[in-house]
Amino acid sequence: MTHLKPVNRKAVRVEKATERPDVVALQRTGLPQTPHFPIGCSLVFSPGWEADRTGGTAGLCQPVERDLFDCHIGCYWPAQVPDQLNHAPDWTAKCAAAQKDWRKIDLIFP
Amino acid sequence: MLKRVGWFTLLGVFFAVSSARAQPPAEASAQSPAQNDGIPVQNDLVRARCGSCHKSDDKGRMSRISYRRATPENWERTIKRMVTLNKVNLNPADARTILKYLSDHHGLAPEEERPIAFEAERRMIEYTYDKDKDTSDTCSSCHTMARVLSERRTKEEWELLVAMHRGYYPLVDNQPMNNGQGFRRTRAVQTEPGPDGRPPDNRHPMEKAIEHLTKALPLTTPDWSTWSAAMQTPKLAGRWAFTGTAAGKGAVYGTVAITADSSAADAFSTETRYTVARTGETVTRTGKALVYTGYQWRGRGAAPGATEPWREVLFIERDWKTMWGRWYTGSYDETGIDVTLVRLTTEPVLFGSSVTAVKTPSAKTAVKIFGANLPTTVKAEDIAFGQGVTVARIVSARPDELAIDVDVAANAPIGPRDVSIAGTVKPSALVVYDKIDGIKVLPQAGMARVGGNVFPKQLQQFEAVGMNNGPDGKPDTPDDVNLGLVNVKWSVEEYTATFGDDDLQFVGTLDQSGLFTPNVDGPNPKRSGNRNNVGDVWVVAEFVDNDPSTSSGSPRAESRGDAKPMPKMLRARAHLLVTVPLYMAWFHETGGTQ
Repeated sequence: MTHLKPVNRKAVRVEKATERPDVVALQRTGLPQTPHFPIGCSLVFSPGWEADRTGGTAGLCQPVERDLFDCHIGCYWPAQVPDQLNHAPDWTAKCAAAQKDWRKIDLIFP
Repeated sequence: MLKRVGWFTLLGVFFAVSSARAQPPAEASAQSPAQNDGIPVQNDLVRARCGSCHKSDDKGRMSRISYRRATPENWERTIKRMVTLNKVNLNPADARTILKYLSDHHGLAPEEERPIAFEAERRMIEYTYDKDKDTSDTCSSCHTMARVLSERRTKEEWELLVAMHRGYYPLVDNQPMNNGQGFRRTRAVQTEPGPDGRPPDNRHPMEKAIEHLTKALPLTTPDWSTWSAAMQTPKLAGRWAFTGTAAGKGAVYGTVAITADSSAADAFSTETRYTVARTGETVTRTGKALVYTGYQWRGRGAAPGATEPWREVLFIERDWKTMWGRWYTGSYDETGIDVTLVRLTTEPVLFGSSVTAVKTPSAKTAVKIFGANLPTTVKAEDIAFGQGVTVARIVSARPDELAIDVDVAANAPIGPRDVSIAGTVKPSALVVYDKIDGIKVLPQAGMARVGGNVFPKQLQQFEAVGMNNGPDGKPDTPDDVNLGLVNVKWSVEEYTATFGDDDLQFVGTLDQSGLFTPNVDGPNPKRSGNRNNVGDVWVVAEFVDNDPSTSSGSPRAESRGDAKPMPKMLRARAHLLVTVPLYMAWFHETGGTQ
C-alpha cells in the first residue's frame, strides 16, 4: 500500500483496516484478540453440504478435502462427516494431510 | 461391558438437568403423568440384552425404551449406536430379534408412517415441515425432518434426545447452519412485542422444539392405541399384480408370487417377473422380506447371478389388497422403481400399455396391452379405446399380454383414453395427440456425487417427456397432455455460475439414455484451486420431430419456396448439481432392516 494514497473516506477506512493484522497467531499475546474460529471456510460462506446458499456449487469449500479435518474435529457436519469425538476418533490416523492422503480416508458406518 | 453407557447416561442426566435449569421448572419427571404411559417390555431377550443398563420397574417398563416409539429404521440406528458407542455386545441374530420386537411393539401406526413413507423409501425429495419453524430449523440443519417424524416420545424422552445430541455433538448449541442458530439462541434478546402484540419469545430454539415435539409427536396417540390392538400378522401369500415406473425406462408391468416363509410368521419369499413396457426387456427377481409392525414390508431381491440386491420398501394397506412403495439400489439408493402391488384374483385385470401416446391420424400402430387373466380368445371388437381409435387386428393374445395394431382417425379427439377388454377397464391407458408441442426434462433439478476413487458415485437418471398443449392450444395449462417418454439427443451445457466457469470439462458424462455418471472424487490438480470435479451444468434434451405433417418449417425455407419443410427441433433442459460425497453411510449395503 506504500504507493497508494486514499482519496476518499471509504479508502481511508480500508487503509486503516489493513493496518491491523487480520491473522492472529495463537501464541502471540498483547495483540487485539479478534475471535478465532478453529474451523475452515464453512463459517465464511455457511454453505450447505451439497449446495451453497444459491443452490449451486460455486460457494462450497473446495476442494472438500481441504476443510474435511475441521468438519471432523469440530463435529461441524455430524450427519455427513464422521465426528472425532465419538464415532471415529481415529478417522484421520492414516491421513496426515487430507489434500495429499485423501485416498486413505474411510467411509464410516456409524 | 457397559462402562460407556454409564458415562453416557451421566452425561445425558447432566444435560437434562442443566437444560431443565435453563427453562421453567418441568414436572418432577419420575412421577410425571407421561410416565404412566410407558409401554411394558414383554420380550425376554430385550430384557436380558438391554436390561443391565435399562432398568425395569414393577410394571415391566424399561427406562428409555418404554417411553419411545419409532420406525424400524430408527430403532436400527439406535441399536447400532448402542453397539458402536456404548459397547453393547450383540450377535446379529439377537439384534434382528430385538429390532423386530421393538418395531412391532414400540412402532408407528400406519397413519403416523404414511406422511413420511418417503424416508424409508429413500427418495430424494424436497420436504418442508411447516408446523413449527424452530423445530424444523433445529433438526433439519443436520438430518432429514422425517427422521424426527419417525419418532414418538414422552416429554422427558424428547428432552433426553436433545441432551444426547448436545452431549455427542457439542457444537450443535450454536451451529449456525442454514442461517439457523443452533440449539441455543445466539441472537440478541428481543424486547419489542411481535406483530401480533404478544411479548417476544426469547426461549432457546431447542426449548421451543421440545415443547412442539411433546405436543405434536407424543408417545400415546389414538392412532397407535387402535393399531397396536388391531395389528395382525399379515397373510400376503398369493399372486400380486406388479405395476411401476422406472426413471428413464417408463412403465413396468408384471406379477409377484408371494409365498409364506417358514422362518417366521411375517416372513415371505417373492418371485417377481416384470416387463419394461416400452422396450420389452424382461426382468426376473427373487427375494425375501419381513413385515414390521404389521404393515411395513422390508425386503431384498436380486436377479439371478446379480451381486447387488435391491432393497424393497412397501407400505401394506390395511385391507391386505394393495401395497405401494419403492424398490431401489445404488450406493446412495438413487436408482429405483416406484411400485404398486395389487392382489390378483381370477378376474381379468389390465395394467397398462406399451405405447403411451398414439397420433392422429395413424394406422397400424403396434400396441401391447399388459394384464393378468386376460381372455386368449378375443376379437377386435371386444377391445375399445373410445371415439376415433379402432383395433385393426389382433396379433397375439396371452393371459398376460395382448399384442394389437390400432388405427387412429384424423378426427379423433385428443386426450387420455381408457382401454377396455372383456368387461375390465384401465383408465388413461394411453393418450391421443395430434402433435408434440414441447418436451420436458425430468427431474427439473438433479443431483449426482463424484466418486469412484475412494467413495462411491451417485448417478442421476434424466428422462424427456413429450407434451401436447391440449384442446386450448396453450402451453402450461391444466389441459396439457403428457405423451410419455420420447427419444431425444442428450447433451450437457455450461451453467454459468462464476467467471471462467469450466465445470463442463470436469463434472462427468451423460449417455444417450439420459444417465449421468459423475467424474472421480478427490482434488483435481488440473482445476484452479485443486477443486473437486464438482459443478453445475444444464442437462439438455433435443427432440427432432421428423413428421412433416407437424413440422412448421423454417420461415427462411418457406420464403425460398422450398417444398420440403425443415424438421422441427424441440429443446428442454434441467439443472444438474454435481457435488461432494458423504463420508458417513447411515445404512450399510449389507445391513439394513432385512
